[in-house]
Amino acid sequence: MSARNVTKKITRRRFLSTALAAGIGESVLARTSRAAAADNILHFGQSEADLGTADPHYAAGTQDRALVDMIFNGLLRFKPGDGSAFEPDLAAAFPKPTVVAGKQVWTFKLRKGVMWHPSDKVPAYEMTSEDVVYSLQKAADKARSAYSALYTGMTFQALDPTTVGIVLDSPLSPNLFYPLVTNYAGGFIVSKRAVEAYGLDGVKTHPVGTGPFILRRYSPKERMELAPNPQYFRGRAKLDGVDYRYMADGFSRELGLRGGQLDGINGQQDEAWVGKMQAVPKLKVDIFGVGESTVLYFNQTVRQLSRKEVRQAIAYTLNRDEFLGLIGKKVGQKIYAPLAPFTIGALTENEVVAKGLDYKTNLEKAKSLLAEAGVSGGFSLDLVTSELNIYKVHYESMQAQLAKVGIQIRLRVVDHPSYHALIRKDTNPIVIYVAFRPTAEIYLRSFYHSASAVVSGAHPDTNFAHYSAIDDLIDKARVETTAAKQVDMWKEAQVKILQDMVAYPVSYANQVYARSAGLDYGHPLKSVLALYPGIDETTRVQRG
Amino acid sequence: MIRYILSRLLFALPIFLGVITIVFVIVRILPGDPAQAALGDYASPDTVAALRQRLGLDRPIPLQYGGYVAGLVRGDLGKSLITGAPVRDEIAHNLPYTLQLTLLALIIGALTGVPVGVMNALTRNRLPDSIGRVVSLFGLSVPAYYLGILLILLFAIELRLLPAVGAGDLTSPGDTVRHLILPAATLGLVMAAAVARFTRSTVLNTLGQDFVRTARAKGLQPRVVTIRHTLRAALIPIVSLAGLWSIALIGDSVTTEIVFARPGLGSMMVGAMLQRDYTSLQSVMVVYTAFVVLINLATDLAYGFVDPRIRY
Repeated sequence: MSARNVTKKITRRRFLSTALAAGIGESVLARTSRAAAADNILHFGQSEADLGTADPHYAAGTQDRALVDMIFNGLLRFKPGDGSAFEPDLAAAFPKPTVVAGKQVWTFKLRKGVMWHPSDKVPAYEMTSEDVVYSLQKAADKARSAYSALYTGMTFQALDPTTVGIVLDSPLSPNLFYPLVTNYAGGFIVSKRAVEAYGLDGVKTHPVGTGPFILRRYSPKERMELAPNPQYFRGRAKLDGVDYRYMADGFSRELGLRGGQLDGINGQQDEAWVGKMQAVPKLKVDIFGVGESTVLYFNQTVRQLSRKEVRQAIAYTLNRDEFLGLIGKKVGQKIYAPLAPFTIGALTENEVVAKGLDYKTNLEKAKSLLAEAGVSGGFSLDLVTSELNIYKVHYESMQAQLAKVGIQIRLRVVDHPSYHALIRKDTNPIVIYVAFRPTAEIYLRSFYHSASAVVSGAHPDTNFAHYSAIDDLIDKARVETTAAKQVDMWKEAQVKILQDMVAYPVSYANQVYARSAGLDYGHPLKSVLALYPGIDETTRVQRG
Repeated sequence: MIRYILSRLLFALPIFLGVITIVFVIVRILPGDPAQAALGDYASPDTVAALRQRLGLDRPIPLQYGGYVAGLVRGDLGKSLITGAPVRDEIAHNLPYTLQLTLLALIIGALTGVPVGVMNALTRNRLPDSIGRVVSLFGLSVPAYYLGILLILLFAIELRLLPAVGAGDLTSPGDTVRHLILPAATLGLVMAAAVARFTRSTVLNTLGQDFVRTARAKGLQPRVVTIRHTLRAALIPIVSLAGLWSIALIGDSVTTEIVFARPGLGSMMVGAMLQRDYTSLQSVMVVYTAFVVLINLATDLAYGFVDPRIRY
């Protein structure tokens, strides 16, 4: 091809179009990796399709708990990364209980100079006891909080601008009282002026707190953007912000992390997934507590399960190792007691085994118990399962295991909200429930107190077994102020549950998160009650 | 033409009412409760009941229905039962993402599919035709979400050329385009496969017509015969297919938005279903219905531009 021909072919139009295309191409393609490396913002992928609510007194999903934890504080807080230890947060020091006129009183001195975040309706102002009292009253009000039941019998008083008194009708031990005033659920302190300015609906998307991060922008079904709080009482965050993305699809989160667009993601409670991600260079996987316990509850009011021998036969048929194989030993652990092992007051494995209540798999014994109950040929049950993998695989495994002794399970898969709705209507004779509760009192009361029996209880909750044999123990333990005696009562209650076999503890699964090697949360992850790795003023991200 | 457009829009009103009613009934038949979904499994029944009352879910269903329809007539789509934000704002935020995705996909699908289909027809049963048919068959066989994952693995993970997830900053055209290329290509390539096959058969059909033979006999350039005579005559069925695919693209955009973690009406709809956010779900369905009605109308009007003999 001659030079003349080349010159002839490069017309002005062609030159301009080529230059334009090259420019767009460069802009489009080459900036991708540079853009991610340029900012000091943490890009985090959370496992839900959207915000539920940023009102901490309603926040229940992990995506909401994690968010409000970055924005709000409690009077006390769980030590970052360790849910077993407390430290003062908005309070200047730990409170000490006193008894006044026969009632227990906890007095908090507040930290001075703590400022509320500025918002478009309320400028920044200093937090006072008035805010704290307002917040605790809101937490205790069933019309304004999802956690009101935990604050029954409490009165809140602003003794002076920096002193708050909490008066309890019935005394509580620190084990039960501290979680109610920490950075968890109803314990988060909200701004009185902000809640009044935005209203209950408004605060769902306009959170105003005192924490290390301030709301910058909420984009529905997409992300929450947070900016560092320059006036945070522990100092400005090391990050320039948090880009908190709602990404329901686990594979998309994984691809975002692997592609370098995300620094951290909510992972999968699955050993195979953990292994796969650990093999990716420059990525790290964090597995930490607190775990969510998987427990089977047997509805005693169902004819086939009304006899203890049948429930015990089921327990002797089931095999915890088979269940654990579903999630893997890297992620989970077998449990033997109704309370999760890290809960204060939980029976240990040794204690359960010593009492012969571990129900080690024994098919012959199971068959003889069924024969004793007059159902040697087995029976059949219709159950629904959630489509969520953690539920479905457990139901399917139980189905296969119980078939060995002639118990046939017919399973129907429904979506997760439907599952919760149906089991609360007593649809399932055997309910598998995966949950975490912060204290033994809450665990036992919601799952085993007769008042909590689904449908028929005075305050129907999650007592799927319709159990009523340990009401006294639960009620007495609640008001017992000697920690050791309280623990003894909780243990006694668990022994009774296992003897009656109304619940079969299976396993608990730890939280699984993955991150780029450059993300440092700022604290070791041991056990986190909010079920996510805390992001605070010490969190850093380093790219490249 | 204006009278025709108005009559078509008027005719769409009962369709809207039907869709609203069906969706309204279906979401309430499903088990699950927005209040329970919002509060989580921790909340006591008393608290759930209090929230149900605050959200108006304890009112009789006909009253809820009447209130919703009355709101729609006033142009009020209501508030999200979960976040309390006006649904109109949520749709306004999400709609541009879905529009840009489907529009670019439509352009990719048409600009790729039509030329490939014409080329296949002109090289019938020769190598280019065979290759084109095999590739388009592959395109038709691969689900959009799977193709999306393959594209992410190649261009975002291996080559690191394009972002894997998200939609970027709408105020930055460059960032928006970077985030749009892979999802739009995912949808557009699947559409291109269908358009290519359909264009091939339509053009082949037209090539055998007398007027094409006459054009060739007059000694016209092959390019002129192909573009002015053959392709123009074949355009009406292709436009019909493009109209149908536009509707399909909006449907496929749901899975694509999920795979690419993009905001949009599809993501909004899935989120609303999971959270049992009745008002959001109903309103998204209204918007989808409006899309279908408008695209059908636009397709019908396009016939008039393609073929001057068609008048309204």
